[in-house]
Amino acid sequence: MITITQAPPYLTVQDSGRRHARTFGVPRGGAMDLFALEALNSIVGNPPDAGALEWALSGGSLKFTTDGAFAIGGARARALLDGRDVPPFTTTYAAAGDELEIQQIVGGRFLYLAFAGGIDVVPVLGSRSTYLPGHFGGFEGRTVARGDSLPLGNRPPSIPAAGFSCPAELLPAYTSSVVRVTPGTHADMFDDSAWRIFTETNFLVAHASDRTGYKLNGHPLSHDIGSLPSDPGCQGAIQIPSEGTPIVLMADAPTVGGYPKIAVVSKTDMPILAQRSPGESVRFELITIEQSQRALKRRASDQKTIRSLGAASA
Amino acid sequence: MTVSRLVSHPLGDSALTIRFGSEKSPELLKRVHAAASAVSAAAIPEVEDVVTAYLSLAVFYDSLKTTYSEMAGRVLEACERGSTKPSGAETVRTHDIPVAYDGPDLEDVGKAVGLSAEDVITRHLARTYSVDLIGFVPGWAYLSELDPALHLPRRSQPRPRVPAGSVAIAGSQTGVYPLVTPGGWHIIGHTDSVMFDPARDPPAALRPGDRVRFVRVK
Repeated sequence: MITITQAPPYLTVQDSGRRHARTFGVPRGGAMDLFALEALNSIVGNPPDAGALEWALSGGSLKFTTDGAFAIGGARARALLDGRDVPPFTTTYAAAGDELEIQQIVGGRFLYLAFAGGIDVVPVLGSRSTYLPGHFGGFEGRTVARGDSLPLGNRPPSIPAAGFSCPAELLPAYTSSVVRVTPGTHADMFDDSAWRIFTETNFLVAHASDRTGYKLNGHPLSHDIGSLPSDPGCQGAIQIPSEGTPIVLMADAPTVGGYPKIAVVSKTDMPILAQRSPGESVRFELITIEQSQRALKRRASDQKTIRSLGAASA
Repeated sequence: MTVSRLVSHPLGDSALTIRFGSEKSPELLKRVHAAASAVSAAAIPEVEDVVTAYLSLAVFYDSLKTTYSEMAGRVLEACERGSTKPSGAETVRTHDIPVAYDGPDLEDVGKAVGLSAEDVITRHLARTYSVDLIGFVPGWAYLSELDPALHLPRRSQPRPRVPAGSVAIAGSQTGVYPLVTPGGWHIIGHTDSVMFDPARDPPAALRPGDRVRFVRVK
């Protein structure tokens, strides 16, 4: 078990989300940075979609009430385990009574903490992820607060050795501002000048951005498409409302929506976008669906590499 | 294979959309629902979810196990089979939802449309509605065919917290808030029926294509 001794304003349990509930209007949800979630789970010997903590906005601390392995990664933050530095994406062992202190987040947005055994809350609709707008999933359907104790699952059969680290070349290009996209369902409704603005100018992540969507500021993409009947949306869909500045749907993307979708962010690059903070820039690069699916398969094979390297170190 | 105007388009690298036409109509919506049932019935192993909307449906799939072009072929085939199936093969479910007409906007709705509160209630009760779409929030059903005498734009000031079970109207539609959410519809009553419960299977009381009647309770 772990106990939160100082909670940041945002702290939830997340896994890889709900794959079979969109029919009922339930978003996929899950970690904003699925790369970090899956890699960190592998680094502590868990299945890639085990429950982990998604942490944002400030520092905080937690206490281990049992011995166990853990790993942190995603956003960049200095972390100390009883005063010793905890490197990112690295298997670290804690003893019962140890305190993990997360200092201020200095880069990126969402920090993940995976624990051997996984955060063992009861799955809701097939997932342990917290859906805050619906008040369900995760830890009592809410953000985790100071004093909360979170149960961990059984110790996995094999845990990588202390100090095992994800090779740096397998990490996403977190500091890059380039995000690959494929043409959206309304791509043809936008003219050449809108497409030029979309692919050739930088957009800045606005403060109005959360797990549901990131609003972007920049040159508006003028269009007179007007209102469309609601149609299905997805994580990464880039909507262009009438004022012309994009909104990218993120982890808690609604299942249907009425704005025209110019493009959809490649799933492989969602972690890069998710980790961009307000004020940071984003530039969209158009690729084909075949390229996007190939990139996703490469990413899956990278995750497999991390798992086998970790297992070999155990 | 029959000549079809169905068009498939990728919706990112892990979903695809099938478009059935460009104009909203009850007939088109029936085709979308029939095709969605056919896609589900086809039990394509890579398919994770099917979401329907007014002109299209989306199929979410495991793109590590297949490709867009392979999925598009299989989903289009299932859709075409579905839309040529004789109508009436699917049983239409009709739900009775008990409503207490005690909503905070009931009087204002009456004033805005020039009817008494009692007439608003009578007209709201008189129709059987169909579930056009599930979405916006979990379990929210867009119910169409509201009496034209009750059509009103949304409230200019949305409420930050609408209680679950609130029965509301806006535009040509009515619906029941399944969860506590912000909302801009006019609340005319409430129901004790649970429209969405994540612990239930299925979690949503209604599904696309269902029919809904409201029944008055005091």
